Amino acid sequence: MTARRSILCLLVASTLPSWSANTLESAYRTAGPAVHAAFDEVRGALQTSSAVFQRGRKEIIFGTVVSPDGFILTKASELGELSDVTVTVDRDRYEDPVLIAEDPAWDVALVKIDAEGLVPVDLSRVDNPSHGTWLVANGATTRSKRRVQIGVVAANTREVFSKGGTVLGVALKAGDEELVVESVEAGTGAERAGLKAGDRIVSFEGEPVGDREALLEELKERRVGEEVVIGLERDGEPLELKVELAGRADVFGEEVTRNDAMSGEYSERRTGFPRVLQHDIMGNRHFMGGPVFDLDGHCVGMNIARFSRCETYAIPAAELRTLIEQLMGDANKG
Amino acid sequence: MKIRSLSWLAALLGALPLWAERPAINDQKAPAGRKDLEQIQSLLHAALPKARAATVCIELDQGSGSGVVVSEDGLILTAAHVTGGVGREFTVRFEDGRKVKAESLGLNSETDAAIAKIVDEGSYPFVPIDRDDSTRLGDWVFSLGHSGGFDKRRGSVVRLGRLVRMADSTYQSDCNLIGGDSGGPLFDLGGRLIGIHSRVGQRLPENMHVPMSEYLANWDELTGGEFMGEGPFAKKPEKGKGFLGLLAEAHDGEGRKAQRVRPEPPAEAAGIKPGDLLLKMDGHELSEFDDLKDLLKEKAPEDEVTFEMLRDGEPETLTLRLGDRDS
Repeated sequence: MTARRSILCLLVASTLPSWSANTLESAYRTAGPAVHAAFDEVRGALQTSSAVFQRGRKEIIFGTVVSPDGFILTKASELGELSDVTVTVDRDRYEDPVLIAEDPAWDVALVKIDAEGLVPVDLSRVDNPSHGTWLVANGATTRSKRRVQIGVVAANTREVFSKGGTVLGVALKAGDEELVVESVEAGTGAERAGLKAGDRIVSFEGEPVGDREALLEELKERRVGEEVVIGLERDGEPLELKVELAGRADVFGEEVTRNDAMSGEYSERRTGFPRVLQHDIMGNRHFMGGPVFDLDGHCVGMNIARFSRCETYAIPAAELRTLIEQLMGDANKG
Repeated sequence: MKIRSLSWLAALLGALPLWAERPAINDQKAPAGRKDLEQIQSLLHAALPKARAATVCIELDQGSGSGVVVSEDGLILTAAHVTGGVGREFTVRFEDGRKVKAESLGLNSETDAAIAKIVDEGSYPFVPIDRDDSTRLGDWVFSLGHSGGFDKRRGSVVRLGRLVRMADSTYQSDCNLIGGDSGGPLFDLGGRLIGIHSRVGQRLPENMHVPMSEYLANWDELTGGEFMGEGPFAKKPEKGKGFLGLLAEAHDGEGRKAQRVRPEPPAEAAGIKPGDLLLKMDGHELSEFDDLKDLLKEKAPEDEVTFEMLRDGEPETLTLRLGDRDS
């Protein structure tokens, strides 16, 4: 974590050049309808295999159709209560979606709607589409029509660690000699595991930890959602608890940088993913969850986080395939 | 007749490379379908490796920006508001992680153009500059930059768009920029450098670039270390604002004695220690109490000064670059 600022001038009135008539009509700009029309073939895949989750009239998130009988994958943290949510696929609206399973490491939820004959996405076999490859995702949408939003693969496909590392979800008492829990943050893995104020942390995954620094070191390159075994002493008795890790920013908030300030509505959960495909398709936090297609209409990923005004992360096809198998497998067993 | 037709053919052949350099897609108002999109994609795929190899992250004390190498010996084009001044030293990182030292040469504070040079000798990946001003409104272009600072895993970030406005000293594209991209390159689909990222508007699609013509028109001044103009993108160092970072006291006889070195650069960083006896600055004797103060009045931030001094009775010479009193 460097404190280095990123340099960019915001336009001020005095630096506005005097434009001549030399301006491209908006229809022909990259996000304009004339350019989007060239992607009409791929739009078909968006129409049949993407979903729109709405609460009332408000679009809350998109989804990716993964089975003919109504299984849909989406971004878990944007979903919220499902009771008053409807799901639109193609031209049909479905009520009463049911949450089937979740994967916290990917912030993914598997939802089931009562449907038949849907067209699941055709997952790409190309694992790592190269920089500059055209991509298409859901843009503005109406009740009956999905519209395209376009961009390209923008950076190396990679793991993105949680901003600031992971946490158990406890505040520790000041002082370096002992790791004594002062308080437990609500809604965290620590609370669910049953950690309590006054517990003394003595080991992490079986290894003794003596001070704050050692604990932080252990937590730095872990994944959000990973479960770790914490050794405790409570009232003098040894105790072991399994704690699910959370992202530091998710629990304790994060500092808003200047880049964040100029990025509009970015995803709240936007870091801490095992592997992401980065692209430059425009949108906001509500545009996540939908499929990303290449020119062949193959699904190369599913949008999972709007990181900034020009950086969006998608779960790559290979990982998506595994996730779908796992979550659907769990669902069928259940 | 025969000769004549041959010369016509030769003229045609001579003109061919120019045609080949300007992709047909740029003369279409919009891509008509898949074939046209594939043309853009394959040109971009072909241009990217070289363009990425030459795009660098510029790391200065005050922040990080981007730049692009345009000659084998390491000349870098970037933005004036990134280098911030003339003769500034900074670190340059290539996408593959290679780290080298560089120094800013000249800048134009009115157009935001700036040039720097890698100081470490070597052979560096570089990109060609579009010297014929062949770019037209609506052309497909791509931007590169180290958005938000250097990230080894991620690498530099590419965005594709079109040139949507052209004015004399500014291009506007719909390749969206963010902090850290400043100074980074804008390319045509042939991989030629056509602009340098400068600034963004409050509205998303307003991304401004300094066209190559602004660099080429002032090439000698910019490579010669000149601070041009009085525009908003860089502030000229002011005389008297030079900051040394030490407190000194009068000393019997000649010279000033560095009594207490402030715990801050540049004096401390340059290695001046409490107790050092300063004899001369830039060759001028420091005999009177106010000599040092008077000499510094004529100096601006980033100016280089040389001290001759005595440390534990031994003569020493130290050169340092002044800081900014206001920062």
